[in-house]
Order: sequence, then structure tokens, then C-alpha cells
Amino acid sequence: MKRWNLVLSLLVIVAMALTACGGGGGDGEPSGDGGEAEEEPKVVDIFGAFVDEDARRFEASMEPFEERTGIDVEYEGSGDFETLILVRVEGDDPPDLAAFPQPGLLSDFVEKDQVIDLTEWFDDGYLEGQYEQHWLDMATMNGIMSGVWYRANVKSLVWYPVPEFSEAGYEIPETWDEMIALSDQMVADGNTPWCIGIESSGATGWVATDWMEDIMLRTQPAEKYDAWVEGELKFDSPEVKNAAKIMGEIWFNEDYVLGGTPSILTTPFGDAPTPMFDDPPSCYMHRQASFIPAFFPEDVTLGEDVDYFYLPPIKPDELPKPVLGAGDLFAAFADRPEVREVAKYLTTGESTKAWLQSGGFVSPHKDTPLDWYPTEVDRGYAKILSEASVFRFDGSDLMPGAVGAGSFWTGMVDYVNAEGENLDEVMQTIDGSWPEE
Amino acid sequence: MSMKRQKLVSDLLVNGALIILCIIWTLPTFGLLVSSFRPEDDVSTSGWWTVFSFTREREGPRFTLNNYREVLLGKDMSYTNAEGEVVQASGDDLSTAFLNSLTVTVPATVIPILIAAFAAYGFAWMSFPGRRVFFVGVVALLVVPLQIALIPILRDYKTLDLTGTFLAIWLAHTGFGLPLATYLLYNYISGLPRDILESAFIDGASHFTTFTRLILPLSMPALASFAIFQFLWVWNDLLVALVFIGSKPEVAVLTQRLQEMVGSRGQDWHLLTAGAFITMILPLVVFFSLQRYFVRGLLAGSVKG
Repeated sequence: MKRWNLVLSLLVIVAMALTACGGGGGDGEPSGDGGEAEEEPKVVDIFGAFVDEDARRFEASMEPFEERTGIDVEYEGSGDFETLILVRVEGDDPPDLAAFPQPGLLSDFVEKDQVIDLTEWFDDGYLEGQYEQHWLDMATMNGIMSGVWYRANVKSLVWYPVPEFSEAGYEIPETWDEMIALSDQMVADGNTPWCIGIESSGATGWVATDWMEDIMLRTQPAEKYDAWVEGELKFDSPEVKNAAKIMGEIWFNEDYVLGGTPSILTTPFGDAPTPMFDDPPSCYMHRQASFIPAFFPEDVTLGEDVDYFYLPPIKPDELPKPVLGAGDLFAAFADRPEVREVAKYLTTGESTKAWLQSGGFVSPHKDTPLDWYPTEVDRGYAKILSEASVFRFDGSDLMPGAVGAGSFWTGMVDYVNAEGENLDEVMQTIDGSWPEE
Repeated sequence: MSMKRQKLVSDLLVNGALIILCIIWTLPTFGLLVSSFRPEDDVSTSGWWTVFSFTREREGPRFTLNNYREVLLGKDMSYTNAEGEVVQASGDDLSTAFLNSLTVTVPATVIPILIAAFAAYGFAWMSFPGRRVFFVGVVALLVVPLQIALIPILRDYKTLDLTGTFLAIWLAHTGFGLPLATYLLYNYISGLPRDILESAFIDGASHFTTFTRLILPLSMPALASFAIFQFLWVWNDLLVALVFIGSKPEVAVLTQRLQEMVGSRGQDWHLLTAGAFITMILPLVVFFSLQRYFVRGLLAGSVKG
């Protein structure tokens, strides 16, 4: 009998499931072909990589627009954006707009003609009024304007613990040589200057590529940097190898780096700055982008306990203030009037206001006033960005995936592992992995 | 004497090896459990085992339920709205995601089992032309990785306007689960004693009666074990859910919520410890409750029928 009950209950569940199926299918239909389209006319789907708190902040930024126009912006975020956007576009199910954290990824879609050229949407000269030229240059791919910039990220920063730093009488270095001299001074005082950590599971090594790019921008003119990113300037060239050597002078100096090279390789990038907050600090300097405060211990106050300075120039006369950064770029996959309106809103500083005021956000828009930034720390990023003599995007994000998210990372890990002994070999391997045209 | 001694030694060896294996096997889970009660700063600065060394931390280990609170009730978030006011909000709690996971998992477990049981019976006890060919076809599908089917299926769903609905993911999981289910159940059902079935047929039972009154009760162990497999697979699935129903909060399943919880840059990974234990609860309940049927089904045997 008991067994019978089980069979019966199983069948009941199936019956329920089947009716639910019917219901589900029925629900799907009206939204597809009409009913909804008349009552709630305009919905714009946006898909991006920021999730959780960042997603809330983005939604808050869209609210004024939604109230004004009645257009409903539906944001969907996923940590697997890189994979999913590919699946959705190939599966004929693209979002209306997608927020790309890497232009390199977007360029794959541009090459397949899947992205709309935004110059068709905006009047001549409009975008020039909203963004600095270097941002527009970075969004131009294959001759089309592939997207609009929304969020910027400054990478050329060195973080330091403010009270202990000034107590010890250290001064913020203005040039690279001063920074090295400061490091020596710290060593002489019995301190460790640098905290470095590049572990990031599948992406281990990206921290090192950021250092390389920052040094390239500080030793070579921007044209050489661009040539390097495009693959014309080989990794196995004196220019790039010189950058690796300059990096090695800090990284492979046992006295400079907390824990030495083994610690560089095994420390997760997010945990790397934590020793700065020991008492006394276990290290005094940490080079990392403007997002890193999210990883600081909870009781640390930005601006008081910890602050940053601009990673100083190596050739202050020729290359006074190069800045390395990154950003989010919104690309369009659908051409409807409401999508155009949202895209236009995204080109204005107003669209970033709510997020910007929450902190940790830098707007690339020209019409964003500096006094919107909630703290001096946030304003500082914007100042560095606006005073940049040269601004360049994170090179590894622009290189083909096989290099920028592959051999460049692993090559740097090998380089650190061998403490710089294998420089030629590493550079030749990276060159060899560059995809054939 | 020496025999007894030998037995003692071998017992010791076997049990000792088992104990060591068990410890190695459960140690990481135990570490995760300890970590889930530790404050964020401690998790990122020291290993979980340090809570047992009172010498290192003068004030003794610190414990908190904060991780569980944030996972269950939503994280504390703050943002500034357009008027410049700071809004303190609580993130989404787990209830919606939990219900979504349940909505996805139960049908996605039941449907393939039912279809597979019918199919297995057909393959095992009914003779029709092409039986072998079909069966070989089903078995061959076992080796097809589901990843290659994602894009084509998504295109079909788009045409049928199914993307984003639960039906889409039920069908997907059913399809991906069926080959293995059919194969497993076929092996079991075809092994049932021929005598029982023949006596049923002689008494005038139709195929359907035989299936519901004999095959299903007799195959309970196989059904239960496959149900466990399928339930765990669907419950833990992230990829299929992301592709077919997307990650909007109203449809997102538990695995997606967990992934989001770590933040855009993975800065809140310490929450995963508590999240792991919370999502573990239901699979454990399912496992142990089905385990009961599993054992009972075996003991009931086939002769009583």
C-alpha cells in the first residue's frame, strides 16, 4: 500500500508540473506579441558585469531618467558576463545595451558586425562635446563608434597608510627616482616598502600586466604603447624588455617587497594591501587601481587612514603625467527610439550622478562637475584623469584574448617565478602566442 | 592466538585508514564551517585553524553570525539617490532565489524521471521495429556535452518565445538529463525477473497497468538514486540557468544569488562560506529522505511484488 501512495504522489506531482508547464507557456505568449507592448510600451534591457551593490547604484542612477521619460530600464547583471554575452548574441537573444568592461571583448562583436555604429545615432560633434578625444578614440573600432563610456577607473595609483607614513617623515615622491629613493629610505629605517600580490585564480598575473603597462607609458611615447597593444611592437623588443626590467628592480628586491617573490605569487590581489593596516604597517606602499578600497578592512577610513598618490613619472620632462585606466563601455545591439534615448542619457554626466555620489566611481563625462564627488579621495581620481598628459586604456584588455587574458598573464607569472632570469624566453613565448591575422 | 592477533591488527589497519580518509575528506568542510562564523577581517587575515590556538590571538577567537544574517536577510547596502540623499537599503534576501531554485529543480527532476521510466520500460519489455537503433541513439547522446547545445537551443527558444520562462529551463534540464536517466533505468528495469512480468501479462494486464503496478514500485531504488543525481545536478547548476532564464532578481536561482553576493570584484567572498552551508541544507534533506526509499526498495525485493 505504501508503495502505491508513493506512485500516486509521484503522478500528482507530474500532473501539477504539467499544468504548471501550460501556465508557464501561456504567460510567455502575451508579453511576446502585444498585450504588454501596448500598456507598458518601452522597456530597455541592459546587461552588464556589475552586480549586487553596484547594480543597485546603477539602477538608482537610472531613476531620474525613468521618471522623466517613462522608459523602463531593466538592468541585469552577472559575474559571468564575458561568457553569457557571447552566448546570448550568438543565440539571437542579445540585450538592447550591454556594458562591456573590456573593449577587447567588444571588438570581437564589432568585427562580426553585430554592434550598431553609434555615430548614426548622434549628431556630428555631439560626442566630442561629452567626452575627451582620447575616450572617443578608444571607443572607435573598425571605423565605427562602438559604444559610449560610462564609468572610468584610474589605475596609476599608489596607496599608503597616511598617519604612519607622515610620522616616519616620508614624503610623497614626485618622480620614479624619488620613489626608489623613498623605498631605500624605508629599508634603511627597517621597514618594508611594498606590498604586492598577483594571485587571482584563473586570472593570476593581471596585476603584473598593469605594472608593465604603467611603466611602458612612463618610458615610451603613447604611439609606442599603441603599437605594442596592437602587436606591432614585439614583447621581445628593447622597449618592452626595459619595462620588465624596471618592474623587476622593485619586484625582485628582497628588501623591497613584503615576503619576497613567493609572497607576490601566492597573495590574492585583494588581500595584498591588508598588511598596510597592521600596527606598525608591514608595508608602506601598494600600487593598485581605484577599486581596491572595496577590499580594505572595514574600520579603515579613506582619506584619513589611507590615501593614494599618483604613480610618479619616470621621465618627468618628456612624459609628465601619463595615466593608465579602464572603463565600462555601453554598446548597442538594438535600434529602437527608446534605446537611443537611454544611450543618449548614458553620454551625460547626470546618468552617473547617483552612483558617483555613492563613492568609488569616476565619470568620464565632460559635463560632470567636480563638486558632485562625495569626498576628496573621489575627486582626486577625477583630477588625475582630467590632468593626464596621456591617457591609455589597460593594454591587456585591448590585446587579443589569447594574449591579454592569456599568455601575458601567464608569462608574467613565469617571469616572477624565475625572478627575471628568463626575460627573453618569456617575451618570445608571449610573441609566439599572438594570434595570426 | 596469532589468528586473533592478526585479525586485530588488520581491523586496526582498516579502521585507521578509514578514519584518516574521513578526516581528510571532511576537514575542508569543517574549515568552511568554522570560517562561516568568523568576522570578515579575520577570514581574510588568518586561517580558520587559528581559532584553536589561543596563544596567537590574545583576546581569543571572535565569532559572529553576521555572515549568515547577510546571506539570509540581504546585505547592507548604501547608495545616494539623485537628490543626494544617502539611502540605506537591504539587498535581496534568499527567499525568492530559494523558491526559484525549487521551482526549477522539482519539475526538472520529476519530468525526466517519468519520461525515462516509460522509455526504459519500452526499450526493455516491448518489441517494436528499430528498438535497438533508438536505444543506441539514446546511449550515444550520453557523450554529447551540453555546452555545445546551448546556443542552438537558445535560438529555438527565441523563436518559440520561451527564453526567460521556467518552462525553458525545465525542458533544457529534461533534455540534458534524459539520456543518462534512460540508460540507468533501462539497465535496472531490463534486469527485473521475466517471470513476474509474464504472469502479469497472462492475467491480462496491459502494458500501462504492468508499468504502474509492477515496474514503478519495483524500480524505486533506481528511481530514487537517479532522483538524487538529477536533483543535485539541477540544484547546483549555474550555467544552464544563466543561459536560459537569465539572472534578473525575480527569476534568479540560488547559485546565481550566491555568485552575485561576492560582489562585482569578489570583495565579499567571505559570505560564500555561510552561503554554502545554507544552500547545502535542501540537497542534504533530499538525499537523506530518498536514501530511506533507496534502502527500503532494496530490502523489499522483487519476489513479493
